[in-house]
Amino acid sequence: MKRVSRSTWDSLVVPRRCVCGNPITLNNLLSSSFSTSSRSSLPISSRSTSSIATVVRPSLKPRASRPFHTSTSLSVVPKLLPTQSAKLAALHGRLKLPNKFPLMTLGRALIDPTAESQNHLNNDSLAHLGNVLLGYYTSEYLIVRYPRLPYEIVKTAMNGYIGPRALAAVGTEWGVEAAFAPGETVDPGLLQFNRLAPGTPYMTSKNSVAFNIPRMRKRMVPNFEHNPTAEQQLADEPPEVRAARELQQKSGIVAEAVPLEAAMANFVRATVGGVYLHSGGLSATKEFVHSHILSRKLQIDKLFQFEQPTRELSRLCVREGFQQPIARLEKETGRYSRHAVYIVGVYSGEEKLGEGQGGSLPEAKLKAAISALKGWYLYSPVPSSDLPSKTDGDPTIPFIPAIIDVGDVVS
Amino acid sequence: MVVKGIQAVSKAQNGVGAFILQCKRLEFNFCEAGGSSRGMKAFLKHRLADFARQNPQVEMVVAPRPHKHPIIRGVYINNREKVVCVRNLAVLQVLQKAELLRDASGVKIKKINKPVQSLNDSVRGIWSPYHATGTDVYKV
Repeated sequence: MKRVSRSTWDSLVVPRRCVCGNPITLNNLLSSSFSTSSRSSLPISSRSTSSIATVVRPSLKPRASRPFHTSTSLSVVPKLLPTQSAKLAALHGRLKLPNKFPLMTLGRALIDPTAESQNHLNNDSLAHLGNVLLGYYTSEYLIVRYPRLPYEIVKTAMNGYIGPRALAAVGTEWGVEAAFAPGETVDPGLLQFNRLAPGTPYMTSKNSVAFNIPRMRKRMVPNFEHNPTAEQQLADEPPEVRAARELQQKSGIVAEAVPLEAAMANFVRATVGGVYLHSGGLSATKEFVHSHILSRKLQIDKLFQFEQPTRELSRLCVREGFQQPIARLEKETGRYSRHAVYIVGVYSGEEKLGEGQGGSLPEAKLKAAISALKGWYLYSPVPSSDLPSKTDGDPTIPFIPAIIDVGDVVS
Repeated sequence: MVVKGIQAVSKAQNGVGAFILQCKRLEFNFCEAGGSSRGMKAFLKHRLADFARQNPQVEMVVAPRPHKHPIIRGVYINNREKVVCVRNLAVLQVLQKAELLRDASGVKIKKINKPVQSLNDSVRGIWSPYHATGTDVYKV
């Protein structure tokens, strides 16, 4: 992939930035800045720019919410093809996507369904494909690496790696910027979506159908966006809001506007889908997901929240046929002082399962049980087993299967 | 009795997997008439094409800035900007400044005292007075 730029800096009378914040001069100057082939010849005359720009892009339908009128073609702000956008080419280069990955697909991944309702022009289908692939590679990675992880923790870790917040962070760290509003004149290298108006609740229900309800007048609306327990809020919502939501769900209307986080996450999913379609199938996708998503840091041991760790440890020992766990005080200091410290070890027969330190005996005992349970759940085989996706291309390849534990301790 | 999950979001470790260059845009501003832009204009004519070709991950912007000294502005992924004035510089010096901005991370300049910065826990572990034995109790 080559980028070239031309030095036609004279006779520039256009304003430097357009409404969307992207430099217009750049678009004029670097209209030929990207060529997917390995063509090395630089100059394309600026006459050809205008001829290319007049090609009608299958573009967005006009919306009333746009801050500027876009039905008439402005002579200053050119309509750019995705292959003409320097931003898009730079993003392509930043992600080190191969030449096989066309700029058109990357440009399409940046168009949210709220900006363009026609499915062959927006990233909806690509995002669905990418979501499936992300789920596949993340779940197999977690389950093979931590075969004893409880199901709840697997779900939480999946959310930590490929949830909307994590994917939105990935997209932001790829340097993707969002357009102020979708429109024909927006640079194809910007994320286009319809922004959710401030104060509008946005929720994702259990079957992940996004919906939003206009804010009612003179009424405080709780902020659902940052509340992890959306289901709890759904249970407490007033009847008229519920009626409106159910009507919206039944009619099958998709969300008209989304927050930036959701749109950015959709873009990352769509990019993964595009990698699968263009960059060489499953193996390239696996490499992409592992290098961009799974290489991030998520502390799995910080995801646990135990309700009754001592009881759970006791049940675990019964299930596994160990001797019953006994907590023993190992060390203490300052029992009658203001800051007593106790160190408690939990033993099963001769084996020490865990150790905890606390300001009181019950606290130290609980921490010892938690330490023992985490030691069990976070077991990771040292010569790591192969991921099932290793055999995706070639079923005859040598494969070390993972041993998956029976699951959570339930009592 | 169930284990509950505490929601968390993974943190970026740039370069552990993929490496994303932090400079996303370089803007080259010059004055058509001013003498201090002579080196900059020569850079734009003769060097910028090669420079852009070698750095496909950076968006290059060329824009006039009349009656001012020439500058190069780097825009970074953390939404900060770094601006270098290149008045009266020769072509190669302008190229050096462009490379400096390209390689910068965009974070505020700060003194780094520790040799290693990492999200991972220390391999050696934290010293505990309750587990050290003998004279090690007094060795921190």
